[in-house]
Amino acid sequence: MSKFKKTLKKMMTHKMLYIMIVPCMIYTFIFSYYPLSGWIMAFQNYKPAKGYSGSKFVGLDQFMFLFEDLEFWRSVRNTLAMSLMNLVFGFIFAIVFALLLNEIKSLGFKRLTQTVSYLPHFLSWIIVCSLISNMLSTNDGAVNNLLMALGIIDKPVLWLGEQKYFWWITTFANIWKETGWNSIIYIAAIAGIDQSMYEAAELDGANRFQKMWHITLPGIRPTIVVLLIMNLGWVLNASFEVPYILGTGLLQDVSQTIDIFVLKYGMSIGNYSLATAAGIFKSVISLALVFTTNAIANKLGENSLM
Amino acid sequence: MKMKKLCAILLTAGMVLSAVGCGSTKTDSTADTKSDGNATAKTEGVTDGNYGGLVAMEDANDPITYTVFVRDPGVVPAESNPVIKKIQELTGVTLKFEFLVGDLDQKLGVMIAGGDYPDVIFAGDAAPKLMDAGAFIPLEDEIPKYGNLNALYSQTMNYLTQADGHVYNMEIYGTPLNDVTEPAPPFECGLGFYVQKAVLAEAGYPEIRTVDEYFKIIEDYMAKYPEIDGVKTTGFEILADGWRNWALLNPAQNLLGAGNDGAIFVDPQTFETSFFQISDTAYEYYKKLNEEYHKGVISAETFTQNYDQYISKITTGTVLGFYDQNWNFGSAQDLLKADGKFDRTYVSVPVTNPGVKDGYLEVSNGIPTGTNGVGITVNCKNPERLLRFYDWLLQREVQDYLQWGEEGTDWYCTDDGGKALTDERRAVVYDTARKRDETGFTLWNYCPKWQGIYKADGMPCGTGESADEYLAAQSDYDKEFLEGYDMKYPAEMFSDPIVRPNYYPVWAMPLEDGSAAAVANTKITDVTMKFFPRLILAADEAEYDSIWNDFLGEFNAIDLDSYQAEIDRQIAEKMAK
Repeated sequence: MSKFKKTLKKMMTHKMLYIMIVPCMIYTFIFSYYPLSGWIMAFQNYKPAKGYSGSKFVGLDQFMFLFEDLEFWRSVRNTLAMSLMNLVFGFIFAIVFALLLNEIKSLGFKRLTQTVSYLPHFLSWIIVCSLISNMLSTNDGAVNNLLMALGIIDKPVLWLGEQKYFWWITTFANIWKETGWNSIIYIAAIAGIDQSMYEAAELDGANRFQKMWHITLPGIRPTIVVLLIMNLGWVLNASFEVPYILGTGLLQDVSQTIDIFVLKYGMSIGNYSLATAAGIFKSVISLALVFTTNAIANKLGENSLM
Repeated sequence: MKMKKLCAILLTAGMVLSAVGCGSTKTDSTADTKSDGNATAKTEGVTDGNYGGLVAMEDANDPITYTVFVRDPGVVPAESNPVIKKIQELTGVTLKFEFLVGDLDQKLGVMIAGGDYPDVIFAGDAAPKLMDAGAFIPLEDEIPKYGNLNALYSQTMNYLTQADGHVYNMEIYGTPLNDVTEPAPPFECGLGFYVQKAVLAEAGYPEIRTVDEYFKIIEDYMAKYPEIDGVKTTGFEILADGWRNWALLNPAQNLLGAGNDGAIFVDPQTFETSFFQISDTAYEYYKKLNEEYHKGVISAETFTQNYDQYISKITTGTVLGFYDQNWNFGSAQDLLKADGKFDRTYVSVPVTNPGVKDGYLEVSNGIPTGTNGVGITVNCKNPERLLRFYDWLLQREVQDYLQWGEEGTDWYCTDDGGKALTDERRAVVYDTARKRDETGFTLWNYCPKWQGIYKADGMPCGTGESADEYLAAQSDYDKEFLEGYDMKYPAEMFSDPIVRPNYYPVWAMPLEDGSAAAVANTKITDVTMKFFPRLILAADEAEYDSIWNDFLGEFNAIDLDSYQAEIDRQIAEKMAK
């Protein structure tokens, strides 16, 4: 039997699975692959009234506009900085939180903590940023009041006016909102670790922290790697809402991300070609990152996505 | 096992039905409105036709709903609004308003991309985007068919005509040149440097003409009253929240004598353009603000607060002054009036560079902007009936009903033949929610209308144009205030109102999508938003100068020529008409 026929026969034995996946594939094709034909907009001076065929072809002009603009590279720097900080700290906090939660013996308390921890995920960013804005205000804001009461500072600090604090504020906002939610996967992974390993370690005289370091962490290493690869692929996407809502003129140099730049110079003035060009740029970089991380993971002998 | 299977089937059925159900609710509601309209028409019997001078339209028994998208955020008037219900009965037409939520450009972009327009769109100066996308139907042949619409627009059709020769929208604000109405003289100035009346009263009703004088009285008042009603006094607020950025960016052009042009200064005599942002006036002005910051009159917080925080601060009555336009802080002022804090309300003062004539106050030049209007979209099923409706709305009796209400309950004739509101109606008008739900304001606001004074009998079209209403609405404190200055209206503080030249204002000029001028315009906003706060917060003179040099560097790196050339071109075009 030819290789093709063998594969076909294998597929037929599992035909139920393939049939189930077909709607998903159609959906992915319609919403993820078919719209890629719109990438032609990035090479044109697209006007909706004229459509794809009527709009003037300008080659790489839109891309040159992006790459020649200092503001754009600043936006890329800001996006990468905020996303990488979110990534690193998000990972650390989510894993540490999962590990700590794992140590809680009382089941009721564990469940309660877990539920409360992922409630902020469901809040809209507008609400969270509103809260942050209020708390950081110099006009009777909670943070300034606390620091002044403790004697650490003697007059209120304008947190949202200084460039050096902004990235930390966004990171903190992200951690506060997403740690609980992100830790869910890790908690599930930890639950899947073989309990007998812990008992063996107990016998060998390992304490709590040594157990965590030598058993739990290596146990969830595949999960961590997979999530890392996926998140690195999204690194240019993250961080639109918080910089958009909390960003002001004073902070523009550090708060303007790629998406905000595209909004101002693409969508707001009707230049859809520019927006598409920026989108392509992001996709290309993200793909490159995903493949690189995947290859590295492979080399290190880990499970990889592909 | 059977139970499990049953549950599974029910769950799947539920999911499928909910997906279908969501789709059909839309048609359900329009069907409901239709049947409601029918029911009201039948039970209230409009067949006799008239209501207090208002004549019903002939197809009043055939209800129809038009969807209207408005570029302002807002709330839809309550179903129980008596004025709107009356109009629905008399015409059978219901206007279903959809107000903007979120970003206007995004919303319009989505509309254009999907081609799914409501029946009518009021997009303000974002209208050119829709015109380019072919969203509107041409109206130049339709308007002359209707008596009132023609009377309103016929003399200014050439200003409403776009570059491609068609008229796409009907201007809804201002008084275009016509035979029926003329512009009313302004009672107050709607933009500029505002200061609390209490501050002027305390200083003995002085004449304020320069930036130094303006800040002096504020400083004096702040020194005397560091707290008002237990809340710390703020000297001068500068709002810089997103598109509400004129407080930060615009003042320099007013100091040079221009009105509210926008991103460029146009000389009132020669119409030459120049960039006021890098002028000496701007350098001096922001330096003065920097001084005031160090004196504590301006607090750094003003740059990080958003619009809602700004408005709530004003409502406390502790903000002594700011640069703004009256419609922007009107809601806060209404609240102060409702609270009885008339001494904490604001009046604009003519601040300019020494020796420069102030250009704040204007009277309409009768030239429409060409974009600030409603357009009927290609998706509208029955544009003819809609135009008839607008025409019907423009009747004198209907306009009086919408703007003034019913004689007796809402307004009365004054001794010298003018009109004034009753106290009850005035209370309704000051309350935003009641104004929306009890009067015809929303409907009147977003449809073609008559504004100004009727030439035939000198009567004001609306409450805003009535001298009698203005004087009657003054509280005792305000009357005392006006006497202190020995003037009838606050507008008398300014030079005579200017009739704006044809091109005015620059901010309403459409810039082609994605053009170099549009990009330059966005960049100008970006760079100034970035640097002006830094200048104001500079630690000392040396730092101010170094930041100013950085600012000049970045500002001049923008492709200013493309923007300036485009504006010059449009000014020349409009002035030649």
